[in-house]
Amino acid sequence: MSKEALFKDIANAVVDMDADSSTRLCQTSIEQRIAPYETITGGLMEGMKEVSRLYEEEEYFLPEVLMSSEAMNAGLDVLNPHLDKSSMGQPIKVVIGVVEGDTHDIGKNLVRIMTESSGMEIYDLGRDVPLEKFISKAEEVDADVIAMSTLMTSTMDGMKEVIDRLKQRNIRDKYKVMVGGGPISPRFAQRIGADLYSKDAAEAVRTLKTTFGKEQ
Amino acid sequence: MPAYREDILTPKERFDAFLTGAPMDRMLCMPLVTSYAAKIAGRTIKEYQQSGKTMAECHVVAYDKLRYDLIYLFTNCSYVAEAMGQPLEYPDDEPASCPDPIIKSEADLAKIRVAGADDGLFPVYYEAIDILKEKLGDQVYMTVCFSGPLSTAATLRDVELFVKDTYKAPEFCHKLLRMCTDSCKNFIAKLVAKGVIPVILEPISSGSILSPKMYDAFSAPYSKELVDYTHGLGSPVALHICGKTNKIIGKMADSGANIISFDICDLAIAKEKVAGRAVLLGNVTPADVLYMGPKEDVKKVCEDALEFMKDYKPGFILATGCELPKKIPYEHLEAMMEVIRTTGVLPYAK
Repeated sequence: MSKEALFKDIANAVVDMDADSSTRLCQTSIEQRIAPYETITGGLMEGMKEVSRLYEEEEYFLPEVLMSSEAMNAGLDVLNPHLDKSSMGQPIKVVIGVVEGDTHDIGKNLVRIMTESSGMEIYDLGRDVPLEKFISKAEEVDADVIAMSTLMTSTMDGMKEVIDRLKQRNIRDKYKVMVGGGPISPRFAQRIGADLYSKDAAEAVRTLKTTFGKEQ
Repeated sequence: MPAYREDILTPKERFDAFLTGAPMDRMLCMPLVTSYAAKIAGRTIKEYQQSGKTMAECHVVAYDKLRYDLIYLFTNCSYVAEAMGQPLEYPDDEPASCPDPIIKSEADLAKIRVAGADDGLFPVYYEAIDILKEKLGDQVYMTVCFSGPLSTAATLRDVELFVKDTYKAPEFCHKLLRMCTDSCKNFIAKLVAKGVIPVILEPISSGSILSPKMYDAFSAPYSKELVDYTHGLGSPVALHICGKTNKIIGKMADSGANIISFDICDLAIAKEKVAGRAVLLGNVTPADVLYMGPKEDVKKVCEDALEFMKDYKPGFILATGCELPKKIPYEHLEAMMEVIRTTGVLPYAK
């Protein structure tokens, strides 16, 4: 099988939520001595790109994205041990979490899945994250982006607090701050001084790639 | 600005007129004041959720101030799950949540039970209803909102695991849904016996989470079963889904529910898909204008909705798309009620 045909099958396995095929086909790619990095970008990530499109067009929903993500991860499990990390470019680094006081993390998880599968490096702080943690983690890993999510109005102001603390410490310009979640609107994002807003996971990927000039 | 007019009918008289097509003094309005009543009454949400007496007191205070058209009792999305055996966490001033879902595997079904009518904190509602009926029963109808089968199942199992199970283990999903449906029925029977209108809440069925296909397979049959059951007991029933419903609002009406209560959906689509089948109740989004204001914008959104829906049959109730979070400024609620007493007034002679 040609490399292109194999990549197409791998992408299809991801889109079809078929973890077994994804595993098997990625094993084939290793046997054929294809560089794992290429299989990831040309196969698995292409599949997730299509999943992201289907999600945005409301063909795919939460269950389908999660199942596709499992298929991608099954492939990654095969490829990762063989991966030469130095072959990868410098990824966009994103620290992400659900702000303190809120445990609703479905939206954040979707953003993690989509951004990670588009090649970004994600530091997921989880849910109910103390505000200070966003900053300390971003400083620690030298992140490009601080991404905060919430579904509750009662916790929205935590986002502003993080931005204010960044300003107080004169490190505001080091990061792009992205916000999203059920009650968050572009107007709110603007009001609290966030750089970026995205309405869903697919848009988050596009917005970040455009912002960092990485859109192909 | 149209002139403000004091109400002529009581909410109960108005609601009866609404249902029978008799003349009304104004259109109906129900901002979903649930635990927000605790804020208005100066109590914590924790107190409100755990004591029927406090719940009733809060609603008396809130109703006296705003005079909306339905009293809407609701504590949190997880209390049916709680009555089935799921432990919850009760923060001081937030709705209870479910940090550790009990069903880790199919074997864990043994750890839960079909909730009886008096399990968990169901009796809190009964106590509140009894007090409210005595104090306000002659003036206003009451509803109780509770998570329906799919949302309860997802709470017990964890939302992400549950939606993956819809692919990996559909039979297991249906077993769990069966138990949740039977639990809801036991609660409904007691609510109807007390003369309260049940509201089935299915946030996890929304188009923000599930596809219309999955809605058909895992949510619709059970909602319909509850609707049929409630009708069999001689009561009307409402179905509420917050989040996106553009693609499923017609399916919601297929359930046969008398009132479709909705959040994020174009009014034009709702109108087209549900016309002639159910009352529409919605859909001012709490987190947007109602939270951010200003007051003029709140009024504008409400006025536009009333104007757009004024000829809708069998009828439109101006409401919020979801329960009011405690951070919504009170004056924005007042603005909403002001609109119903200006733009919403109808020609009426007693």
